Amino acid sequence: MSPIHRRSAIPVLLIYSGYVIVALIYLIPILWVVSLSFRPLQELFAYPPRLVPMKPTWDAYVRVIENSLILTYLWNSLKLVSLSVLGTIVVALPSAYALSRFRFRSKRQLTLIMLGILMVQLISPLVTILPLYRYFATLGLINSHIVVILVFIAMETPVATWMLKGFIDTVPTALDDAARMDGASRLQSLVLVLLPVLMPGIISVSILISVATWGEFLVPYMLLSDNKLQPIGVGVLDFQNTSDGVTTHYLAAISVLATLPALIVFLLVQRFIVGDATSGAIKG
Amino acid sequence: MAETLKPVRGPRDFLGGRLRVFSEDNVWLWLLPLAVLISFFYLYPVFEAVRFSFTDATTSSGDDYSYTLRSYVQTLTLPEFYAMVRTTVIFVGCSVIGQVLFGMLIATLVYEGEMRNLPGFGIVRALVLVGWVLPGVVLGIIWKLLLDESGASFMAIPFGMFGIRDPVFLSAPVPALAWVIIANIWRGTAFAMILQYSAMKTIPPEYHEAATIDGASWFQRFRLITLPSLRNILLINLILATISTLNTFDMIMPLTGGGPGRSTEVIALYIYNVVFQEFDFGRGAAVAVVLSLIGIVLTLVYFRILTNKQDGFE
Repeated sequence: MSPIHRRSAIPVLLIYSGYVIVALIYLIPILWVVSLSFRPLQELFAYPPRLVPMKPTWDAYVRVIENSLILTYLWNSLKLVSLSVLGTIVVALPSAYALSRFRFRSKRQLTLIMLGILMVQLISPLVTILPLYRYFATLGLINSHIVVILVFIAMETPVATWMLKGFIDTVPTALDDAARMDGASRLQSLVLVLLPVLMPGIISVSILISVATWGEFLVPYMLLSDNKLQPIGVGVLDFQNTSDGVTTHYLAAISVLATLPALIVFLLVQRFIVGDATSGAIKG
Repeated sequence: MAETLKPVRGPRDFLGGRLRVFSEDNVWLWLLPLAVLISFFYLYPVFEAVRFSFTDATTSSGDDYSYTLRSYVQTLTLPEFYAMVRTTVIFVGCSVIGQVLFGMLIATLVYEGEMRNLPGFGIVRALVLVGWVLPGVVLGIIWKLLLDESGASFMAIPFGMFGIRDPVFLSAPVPALAWVIIANIWRGTAFAMILQYSAMKTIPPEYHEAATIDGASWFQRFRLITLPSLRNILLINLILATISTLNTFDMIMPLTGGGPGRSTEVIALYIYNVVFQEFDFGRGAAVAVVLSLIGIVLTLVYFRILTNKQDGFE
């Protein structure tokens, strides 16, 4: 065993106390909200508070599902996210291929193009959304999911291009050169040869795009005014604003419903993000 | 890069000799979708936003507007505007510093745990990401629930233990801003952690092993091996965190709505209010342009600081 791997007690103890603190900071708030969502009204403000309710009840969930558009919001989000991911990959992949496989006039030219793509990402969405809102309003395209998806694709494509280029760079050129020698066109070598090899990278990028668009607020909030069309990241706000009386347990229940599906999917696939995706981008 | 074999036709042909626009060897054709997207959704809107910031357009005025400096004059002479700039600077500054530092701390914990093969590092790594996956609005609602001032809420418990029965969380300006910042750090730390952890993973483990054999302490290894290799990613981290925090208002809306008073109204939220409540499109655009300028200036400052420090780091 190399010296670094030798387990001395003190650092291990420190690391584990760090783990416990971090886990508590992120887990307890979530558990608390789950607890609130199962409490009957009289237990909501009971003192001293208990994490596990004495008489847990589904009432809040039943109420929220019956009286809010939560299921519609979830469906809208699913639709917006999946089509945006698909669109982004379709737009970003050819550019990423070109930036990785073509020979540019100089290294400087390539660097400038790559930097230019990154700079675009620094433009505040608040600046671009105002003229876009006005533009689409003039065209009568407010309340169109397709417009929101287009804007999402535009928002995610620059960073997706960067990351995909990083992934393609890691695939030996010999692979697609061989295909081209056998008479395949560039497009064929990309789709038939590179695409299967790039799948892990494409999955990572897709997850990152999904996370970014799942919770997006500004774009749908501005471009959709019909409540029935809103994704989860906006619809929940509407529920908070329109409900009155004691709403703590309802808000807790809708938060859990809004969070849980995405959270479960995400925890299952998170290893794709933290390992490969970002390291590809960093090397690139 | 690329193309080890001599291509029959190359991109040069387009720029130099024969013009083959629709050849699949024309690199610009491959880049066309991206270029169209950037032009239509970034360059044109930015141009339009700047143009509108010099007009008196309202949300319903159509093409009926005229050019004026009114938006800038009104904005820059408004005393509340500077209060809002102050709030934004505090919000962004504290959030970004908090996110980058906690992100570094957690990334280090996970990385050191992984190097030692400690079970559990993967769970911690996944848990932190929770704050990042939550939609901003949901996150705001959750924190509002945690910060209920009834005395039986999550955050009230520790205060209750010290005999403070009615803690003030969101109903007074200073604590409200502090809690908005804390909630935002909770949210953004995951992103900083992912970036820095990924950068740490690119360090060859032999570096650390060699340093350990030479008798380097953990802190020396961190300062002399880990930190220098983080420099580039720290720059990216700072820029991205700053830009995204400058534009954040989704979690603030359900959490405080900008209040009490206007104590947590950041510029991004103000822009939204100006455009969609006062219907003053021109002024909204002007404030958005000012906000972007703040972002650009901060980005340049980061570049200066982190590229000047290069020698100091190594």
